[in-house]
Amino acid sequence: MRSLHVEGTGWLYRLSPRVKLISLALFSIALFMTRDPFLLAVGLLVGGGVLWQAHLGLKETLSRLRPVMLTITVIALFSFVFASPLEATISLFRLTALTLLATAITASVSISQFMDEITLAIRPLEKLGLAKAADIGLAVGLVIRFVPEVVHRYELLQDAHRARGIRAKLHTILVPLIIMTLKDADAIADAIDARGFRGQTSSPDILRGD
Amino acid sequence: MDICFNQAGARFENRTALHPLSLTLNEHRIGIIGLNGSGKTTFARMINGLTKPTSGTVTVNGLDTVKDEAAVLRQVGFIFQNPQNQIILPVIRDDIAFGLKNRGLSKAALDAAVEAVLQRLGIEHLANRRAHEISGGELQLVALAALTITGPQILIMDEPTNQLDLKNRALVEKTMAKLEQDLIVITHDLALLETFDRVLVFNQGSLHADTSPANAISLYRELALS
Amino acid sequence: MKTRDLVLIALFSAIIIALGLLPPIPVAIIPVPITAQSLGVMLAGVVLGAKRGTLAVLLTILIAAIGLPVLSGGRGGLSIFNTPTTGYLIGWIFAAFVTGYLSEKLVNRQQSGLVQGVGFFIASVTGGVVVLYAFGVPYLGYAAGTGLEKAFLGSLAFIPGDVLKAVLAALAGRAVLAGYPLLPHRA
Repeated sequence: MRSLHVEGTGWLYRLSPRVKLISLALFSIALFMTRDPFLLAVGLLVGGGVLWQAHLGLKETLSRLRPVMLTITVIALFSFVFASPLEATISLFRLTALTLLATAITASVSISQFMDEITLAIRPLEKLGLAKAADIGLAVGLVIRFVPEVVHRYELLQDAHRARGIRAKLHTILVPLIIMTLKDADAIADAIDARGFRGQTSSPDILRGD
Repeated sequence: MDICFNQAGARFENRTALHPLSLTLNEHRIGIIGLNGSGKTTFARMINGLTKPTSGTVTVNGLDTVKDEAAVLRQVGFIFQNPQNQIILPVIRDDIAFGLKNRGLSKAALDAAVEAVLQRLGIEHLANRRAHEISGGELQLVALAALTITGPQILIMDEPTNQLDLKNRALVEKTMAKLEQDLIVITHDLALLETFDRVLVFNQGSLHADTSPANAISLYRELALS
Repeated sequence: MKTRDLVLIALFSAIIIALGLLPPIPVAIIPVPITAQSLGVMLAGVVLGAKRGTLAVLLTILIAAIGLPVLSGGRGGLSIFNTPTTGYLIGWIFAAFVTGYLSEKLVNRQQSGLVQGVGFFIASVTGGVVVLYAFGVPYLGYAAGTGLEKAFLGSLAFIPGDVLKAVLAALAGRAVLAGYPLLPHRA
């Protein structure tokens, strides 16, 4: 899975991640507080201007925007028909402006920068014993690590079906996919515990092999 | 190394996985063999505290596996059968470095440590690869790298060549021979044990024999084929 | 949190993401092709229960938010919070929780397969359709400026597909409970 972050130059990339995230939040609040199409259009220009600074190139930019813009446009049309042209305009401008800025921020903040910010943000929760930043980092790493394995397993199950002359359907693949994937949890947890990452080992009363 | 079992045994629910036994391990290369269900894996897991004794105690270099859990884990590394499930981060380099993450090392020191272990095991070319792209013997070597980077003196390996083809098996065997750590190896691959110092044979939760590799292997064959 | 739970949550998040990579599937009488990812949300509840199922969904959303294109259609990044369907995304969290909670309460290992299936179906529909739409529809109505009623009418076409997903989730929940039970029981 390729991350949406890119290495880049320019002030957008030099800005601290925290400033960028807070700016996005404030921008969102501001845009949701106004219904003035003119102000929203200004927002569009601001979002577009910042996205331009991400230097992604036309093709890449369009490919990133396409899925979201599709939904936004369809809903704007829906709004045009069932509400009013004004509502459609507000919806279109507002959501597009936010999408442009959000796309720029996503491109210019790396995953480890995000994780650093999250680590800082959940410090109060850590003090209360409700969450651990290290656990979240580990969890994110585990997911990224094992998604390709799950996909591979899905493909193996499809092959097994085809080999038996059965058309591979979601409902026949789903259960073995889930069971086979989750069965690895014990072994993976053992490996994590054996490396002493979380300061604990498995409890002795779980029945294990020989 | 000095590993002591003091009448240590393990019971799960209503099944005895290992009957209480007492012995001391201090050889450089120790093999563990036995049929499935013989207690050999439970025995090995009790050495690093993954399985806690339900009776008696186990100590490693004077540290108790229950009371000094974290310290024991720092001294004893454990390599599992399936290397897939041991590499837990997407990029090889990151997984290897992870063991040293919380030690407050500078980035330069961390990178140097990773490079050193990559070179020691001859896997520099795998550093930037993704875990799901490599397999077999190379994955086991990555697991070895990830475990040895934190400097444990003792390595337990649970059937390290079990899932490997001949070429990968040879790779792992060659690497094992060069390892400085004390090795305790559970295996069905009897040829691995020929140069070992001592081999324990387990059967039905008890130690059946504790002898030289050659003796152990013939005793094990008797058990298996009887 | 036990390491095993952490790993189960992460692996299920990986399953939800993998399901998002599948193309939408057209099904005979249903007006809109169904995407498998929201099925993953219901499955998280029926297989892992309320707490772990919800955390699996949260983890998936977090991974999408920090810039990995893991939502159906290759969507990711902070813009996932700026679309008209963002209500549904937030609704996933509560859908997984309710599905998991009801699964824990309604289903246990002593019941017959049929009873378990019905229990899981009730849990999946309540969480994966009722609760999900309770979040998705109002936000859609607000974002589009059409108001609640029109937004609901516009969403009707998706309901049959989601009910079908609930059936699938129920069947899968039953089979996983039989094969590799992980669901905690809530008295």
